Amino acid sequence: MPKLEIYDPAMCCSTGVCGVDVDPVLVQFAADLAWVGEQGVAVQRYNLGQEPQAFAANPAVVKEMEAGIDRLPIIAIDGQIVTTGLYPSRAQLAQKLGLTLSGGEETPTKSCCSPKSGCC
Amino acid sequence: MIALNGTPRHLFFTGKGGVGKTSLSCATGLALAEQGRRVLIVSTDPASNLDEVLETPLSGSPTAINGVPGLAALNIDPEAAAAAYRERMVAPYRNLLPAAAIQSMEEQFSGACTVEIAAFDEFAKLLGDAGATANFDHVIFDTAPTGHTLRLLTLPSAWSGYIDSNQGGASCLGPLAGLEKQKALYAATVDRLSDPAQTRVVLVARADSAALREAERTRHELAELGVGNLHLIVNGLFSARSDDAIAQAMDQRSSAALLAMPPGLAGLPRQVVPFLPRGTVGLDALRAIVDPAAIATPEGPADASTPLPAGLGALIDELASAGHGVVMTMGKGGVGKTTVAAAVAVALARRGHKVHLSTTDPAAHVAAAVGSEIPGLSVSRIDPADEVAAYTEEVLSKARGTLDASALALLEEDLRSPCTEEIAVFRAFAREVDRGSEGFVVLDTAPTGHTILLLDAAEAYHREVLRTRGEMPAAVTQLLPRLRDPAFTHVLVVTLPEATPVHEAERLQGDLARAGIQPWAWVIEQSLLASGSRDPMLSLRGAYEIPFIRRVADTLAPRCALVPWLAAAPVGVDGLRQLDH
Repeated sequence: MPKLEIYDPAMCCSTGVCGVDVDPVLVQFAADLAWVGEQGVAVQRYNLGQEPQAFAANPAVVKEMEAGIDRLPIIAIDGQIVTTGLYPSRAQLAQKLGLTLSGGEETPTKSCCSPKSGCC
Repeated sequence: MIALNGTPRHLFFTGKGGVGKTSLSCATGLALAEQGRRVLIVSTDPASNLDEVLETPLSGSPTAINGVPGLAALNIDPEAAAAAYRERMVAPYRNLLPAAAIQSMEEQFSGACTVEIAAFDEFAKLLGDAGATANFDHVIFDTAPTGHTLRLLTLPSAWSGYIDSNQGGASCLGPLAGLEKQKALYAATVDRLSDPAQTRVVLVARADSAALREAERTRHELAELGVGNLHLIVNGLFSARSDDAIAQAMDQRSSAALLAMPPGLAGLPRQVVPFLPRGTVGLDALRAIVDPAAIATPEGPADASTPLPAGLGALIDELASAGHGVVMTMGKGGVGKTTVAAAVAVALARRGHKVHLSTTDPAAHVAAAVGSEIPGLSVSRIDPADEVAAYTEEVLSKARGTLDASALALLEEDLRSPCTEEIAVFRAFAREVDRGSEGFVVLDTAPTGHTILLLDAAEAYHREVLRTRGEMPAAVTQLLPRLRDPAFTHVLVVTLPEATPVHEAERLQGDLARAGIQPWAWVIEQSLLASGSRDPMLSLRGAYEIPFIRRVADTLAPRCALVPWLAAAPVGVDGLRQLDH
């Protein structure tokens, strides 16, 4: 089974409720990851504010960040960076991971929103 | 005489700000040390004056107190703890990650939550780790003002519960996530707090109904948290020994308050510390608390005079001429912020203005202080629990349309985080300030430390707003510029004519200046000197006020008003009108 790694920007919480307003993209993405996990994919999520060691340990990720902090979030499958600067939809995740979406699990596609770094 | 029999290893002093927690914890520590015990006094109050009371410069590690073998003390400064915590988290990555990443991490660790968490972490180290204080027989915590104390005490169980139930891993624990590994330490902290053999919590109150009501609220909340070993100290109880009108009124007011004490509080083991005319700063004053009988009673009235500043009326006239805006009363808890705010609100309404009176102080009783209705005056309270509920509902109702069930469940989980309250209360505060563009808004803010955190949050929030796209209410984006606009916001620093409150208010003024806010005036509350009392004890205490009144009026305050101690309580519309002259 593939391994999915997400390098999030520094933020208080993965759903963004700690910011000034809730970002529905973050909430939906967290739920999508839960679904991906249920399909047997090993999901690892790193937050720059809380787990900087994971970022520092990955030269490819550091290289992206040097190009611009807006490259976050970075998503890697089996160590290969597949997207930067956006949270993919469930359908896009499924496609990249070779998973099959059953009809009921299709969610409205939204992406390309930069995450809000929010904390209190 | 302070009773020391059966004192457990850990002692906490808690109560409304200004009731004397620091003096009593120091007096108890002194008494224990003089019996040969090794004692550590710890202050977690962001506005601590432990140094002053013990006449020894202190730091973040135990310092021996001059002239008292066996006694040591330390100050936990939450701001410094937060800075150290931030540095610990960020420093290892300075050479490994790009500058922009470092900056974004630092920003993440600059909020109010980090300060709270860092302070708690320090506190847990002392209480949860027996090794940290192994050299002492007793550890006495002079805890922060009540709202803060309660949070400190409730957080461990809230967080332990959160860590247990949060299946999604490090989700909304925010800055706390780095501390998740310390779960065992937090569990030990909770255990120690709830074990009557190890910990006693002393509720400190004055003999006045607001302080006793606050103590009862704390008793109830602590009992719910499973803290069973509770004692009560009634501090500074005055008994009239003359027929002076002020002395009689003070005596009657204290007796009535004690008689009306809530039953839960009355059932606790209780001690009374009498009124001491010479203040409570310094080791000699602490010895007087330990053994008040050794203090001689003055024979006649003290004669002292100084030119006194005018009352509050002139300041209110000047405020009224602006026609609208925000008036904030600020100062340490217990100095009379609520009374001044309510008096200003009532006086502005009587001058024909539309006035809204609002409080963020969890220990406030604004509605009770105003008593009856006045045309043009409305009153509200920012209740953190209500604000959290309303914010949660607002977020969920927005999300319900767009999210599936599992995403909603996750969102609900994150809304249980400690951060939510900060956000919710802050939004309410911004909303209240926004009303000031139409009429007057009078805000009775929370105690000093919390107020500063609030303003800090305002600053962080402000930066956040500038960066975030869309959807922010105008009230929030305009908040900080409005607080800094002297034509829009008038800050009244409220204090008492005593060493500690003046010292604290001076610090507050410095903190405000750093936040870009200049106080407009100072109000000195409850002056015995201005009351004209000829009672020997009260006039002696009155004479002790002179240097503090002079310092405020001559050096610290751009404008100054002096409010006398009033024989008729400043409660209700008529009571509050006494201040408006």
